[in-house]
Amino acid sequence: MTATIARPRRVVVVEQALILARRSVMNTWRQPASWIPSIIFPLMMAAIYSAQFERVTDLPQFPEVDSFLQFILPATILQGISFNAGEAGSALATDIETGFFDRLMTSPVGRQSVLIGRLAGAATFSALLAAVLMLVFLVFGAAPDGGLPSALAIVLIAAALSLSVGGISVAVALKTGSAEATQAVFPLTFIAIFVSSAFFPTELMSGWYQTAAEANPFTLIIDPTRRLAIEGFSFADLGQALFWVAVVGVFTLGLSYRAYLGRLRRA
Amino acid sequence: MANHPVEAEGLVRTFGDLTAVAGIDLIVEEGEIFGFLGPNGAGKSTTVRMLVTLLRPSAGVARVAGFDVVNEPNAVRRSIGVALQDAAIDPLMTGNELLRLQAVLHGLGRKESTRRTGELLERVGLTVAADRKVGEYSGGMRRRLDLAMALIHRPSVLFLDEPTTGLDPTSRLAVWDEVRTLNDEGTTVFLTTQYLEEADELAGRVAIIDGGRIVREGAPAALKAAVGDPTLRVEVDEEWLCEARTVLAAFGEERPARAGRAAIGLRGGTARLAEVVRALDDAGVPVGHLEVDLPSLDDVFAEATGRRLEGAGASAA
Repeated sequence: MTATIARPRRVVVVEQALILARRSVMNTWRQPASWIPSIIFPLMMAAIYSAQFERVTDLPQFPEVDSFLQFILPATILQGISFNAGEAGSALATDIETGFFDRLMTSPVGRQSVLIGRLAGAATFSALLAAVLMLVFLVFGAAPDGGLPSALAIVLIAAALSLSVGGISVAVALKTGSAEATQAVFPLTFIAIFVSSAFFPTELMSGWYQTAAEANPFTLIIDPTRRLAIEGFSFADLGQALFWVAVVGVFTLGLSYRAYLGRLRRA
Repeated sequence: MANHPVEAEGLVRTFGDLTAVAGIDLIVEEGEIFGFLGPNGAGKSTTVRMLVTLLRPSAGVARVAGFDVVNEPNAVRRSIGVALQDAAIDPLMTGNELLRLQAVLHGLGRKESTRRTGELLERVGLTVAADRKVGEYSGGMRRRLDLAMALIHRPSVLFLDEPTTGLDPTSRLAVWDEVRTLNDEGTTVFLTTQYLEEADELAGRVAIIDGGRIVREGAPAALKAAVGDPTLRVEVDEEWLCEARTVLAAFGEERPARAGRAAIGLRGGTARLAEVVRALDDAGVPVGHLEVDLPSLDDVFAEATGRRLEGAGASAA
């Protein structure tokens, strides 16, 4: 009496990843407390910085920009995304804690669909979040110089970054199965963003701070993303940003995948 | 070897130094409700987790629906329905969404998913609540949804892990009815429970597990008959307990009892009750309460392990 499933395996696996991605997007959406701070907090910081530092744009080493707000547009978006990136891990840890993950594992779901669905959902939600942040900047008169292509490129980088940063939280979630441990990773991201070129060009920094900021992967990602906003669209900048996102991603997603295999093996 | 819905041989699972399951052999026959009974921490859930492919056995083999749980886990997963303890249901999703998700996880197409979702919502009486978030459901509604999710792909073997723990009596009866109906329709049910009454009520055969081993196995009636004599329990004040035990010893073997009580297996059955009362009276033992129980599964458990099952209601008079 078992239902015979004669549908092509590949189709089924894609459907499974899609419905799990959809679940991940909907569940995040249904918990506004998990993502509203990722919009409000970076915007507040942007408002404070732009009031504080509007005149630094006149400094000789400062890049040519329409306004300080335009300068920090990409960084604010990437900051919001990074804040939210832990959500993928937290949600996964909650699934493990509540036993929902076990429920998935007792079904014949493709093992890769579970991880891919979770990450695809996180990337989709991050793209939406980035678009919302971009719109708010538009309302306040800070638009990327490259128009729509630049805007889309920034959203794309943001979505990709959410995977690279989120990979850490997913790895911790899979390793520990604890939502609390997963959330504890968050301050690391916070510090990493502040010790980067996010809100100030590295040329204007000095000492160890400058050295740390220059070596920070966030700087390597934010600089080309910022050029997309203040100099206009170029494939070179898009490529460079995505390259460094991918470098981080290979490491963090590699860790997640390892942790995932570890969890499946431990079972 | 004929394929049984569930068969295990020498199943062992250790966690570090701890042996949770210490070599279990069992066979579940086609179309039966098999009760897996034991106290908390006896190894019930660990055994079930191995059978439903969530845990690898440390040793031994198990086949479910004819497939090896280690080497053919996906074939096992396609054949079984699983409702684990505590109804792990995502509270942010609606009943409808969860059933559809489950349908896709089992590879059902869109049309079939819609049809099965509708059918099952109807079956478990959740059609009206289908579009409400599960977080707003009562405990009973969650269990019913959990059961519906386990049935989406028409499994041949259904694993129910403590399906009524934490439910009110009405919801418990509703779940029992549903389990019986499913079984009547041909589904083999592997039912884990810590409630004696539940096992007695539903299961055609039970295995009692304690300390990671199966200590008794058989039809409830046969197991109870094997315990033999009815249990006589006498409640007396603490200072009379010793005296009461001495008097009772003449009428049968001592049996485990709660504090403040003495219990024996009454040789010769209830016909000797008057004699016991007279003997206690002659010895001047003031009896607070006296009861006779025909053997229950609790007695079977007590006889096998020397302990009473925690929370067992069967002996309350």
